[in-house]
Amino acid sequence: MSLNDRLRDVFVDALQLDGDVDVENLKYRDIDAWDSVGHMALVAAIEDEFDVQFETEQVIDMSSFKVAGDMLRGLGVGE
Amino acid sequence: MTPPHPTPHFETPLLPTSLLHPAARLRDAASGELLGGADLAGRVAGTAAEFTALPPGVVFLRVGLDLSSVLRYLGAFEAGRAVALLDPAQDRDVLDDLVARFRPAAVFGVAVDDVAPGYAAAGSDGWVRDSAEGVVPHRDLAVLLPTSGSTGNPKFVRLSRRALLANASAIADVLGIGPDEVAPTSLPLHYSYGMSVLNSHLLRGATVLLEGSGVVARPFWDAVTEYGATSLAGVPYHYEMLRRMRFDPAKYPTLRTLTQAGGKLRVELVAEFNDRITAVGGRMFVMYGQTEAAPRMATVPAGRLVEKLGSAGPALPGGSFSVRTEDGSEVVEPGVTGEVVYRGPNVMMGYAESEAELAAGDVVGGVLATGDLGYLDEDGYLFITGRLKRIGKVFGNRVSLDDLEELVKHLGAAAAVPAGDKVVVWLDQASRDGCRAAAKVLAEALHLHVTGFDVRPVDGFPLLPSGKIDYRSLEAQV
Repeated sequence: MSLNDRLRDVFVDALQLDGDVDVENLKYRDIDAWDSVGHMALVAAIEDEFDVQFETEQVIDMSSFKVAGDMLRGLGVGE
Repeated sequence: MTPPHPTPHFETPLLPTSLLHPAARLRDAASGELLGGADLAGRVAGTAAEFTALPPGVVFLRVGLDLSSVLRYLGAFEAGRAVALLDPAQDRDVLDDLVARFRPAAVFGVAVDDVAPGYAAAGSDGWVRDSAEGVVPHRDLAVLLPTSGSTGNPKFVRLSRRALLANASAIADVLGIGPDEVAPTSLPLHYSYGMSVLNSHLLRGATVLLEGSGVVARPFWDAVTEYGATSLAGVPYHYEMLRRMRFDPAKYPTLRTLTQAGGKLRVELVAEFNDRITAVGGRMFVMYGQTEAAPRMATVPAGRLVEKLGSAGPALPGGSFSVRTEDGSEVVEPGVTGEVVYRGPNVMMGYAESEAELAAGDVVGGVLATGDLGYLDEDGYLFITGRLKRIGKVFGNRVSLDDLEELVKHLGAAAAVPAGDKVVVWLDQASRDGCRAAAKVLAEALHLHVTGFDVRPVDGFPLLPSGKIDYRSLEAQV
């Protein structure tokens, strides 16, 4: 699976998203499920799935699906 | 609830009559605007004047973490107008039910394109009731807060003006709040803890920094740095988040006070955050309260936190704890476990489930049976050990475990147990989809984040010899 596909699955699972949500264009607080509580569940799930650890700055800057993907690429996760 | 003693009279000398100290300031992080002194007093007086013109009844305020919400809240308080503070994200059907039951004089913070029946749009975000007929709320009543966790009809806790002022004053005393403090809004204002942070700071001439994006978002921390926030208030899940974020107070040189309430934080985390903040010369306060007490009842002095790890602290100045044992007697001897009873000037007037009850006076006489189980130590420090009823906490919000089971019974037999800041609901013979559906039902019914409900399939429940579900065994499996 590609990085984007894996990340999409993590988003759907961690935030319990419905099928009609446009995950790849999702931004923090666009939907009720991605509030501060959802954010920490999401960060934990991404860390588990990709075996990475985010720094404080990364946790508070992870404001969209796209940013999360770029961070993972920056941490050396392959496409 | 029947008070076991004659109604006590609480002396609260020198209590201010206004929440707004002349030096108090509001900083709006979004615009950078700083409002204080005569400007702030003038804006508050302006909103107070608007409230005076409304028909009789309570005012519903859907409060966000923004200037206009806070000015309205303060205006209502100054005008002596009872206000209910509501979640701005609350579903429309829940709001409609509350409007029908309480017939508010007005609702603010709502869309004007879809006004409730019997109301007319007012301004850009308000509804005003058409009828001039309405119940006049009791003159002592200042704020109504929804009780967390009731799954049926939400009810309001009735808080008097004196209770709010007494509690804000006692909190400011034990935390040492003065005009140099800058408190960011890390909690919503319709949540009693968030409201009390606002009240206790404004009362002592401090600054409240209005920022609504929350402790996991960049704008919050940018505002902390830019406007020199001095404290941070959090419930247990905030501290779990801060730990995961590897929060380092050295990066925020002005932020030197941490406060924690809203449920019991794991003692390891209390010790860890106390270490982090004391290492940079700061202080950590662990506190205990309930909305019914406006809300604070106890605070552990920062200097005794390590020695009293796991304690909720001694009662606030002006308050006292006792323990009600199974035979109904109340004791203050150390080491006796029973229901924690609090007495103080900050205890609610009672509950309200409908408009008529808004006119009622104090029905509890300053005595609050907390429903928590605990004991006092030899220094009068309270230790909470559990709940009388089966109650869990989801991100700081009280939920009845029996109610959760009832809500998902159409999906299967359920057994709910507390699990830290979440609840685990075991669902008999459930599929993965069934579990997800159940979590969604619970999240929607209680208006709490879906990740607070960990629904797991189980193949039959462990049973006690009596045939009842063995909840202890289920808790051990969490």
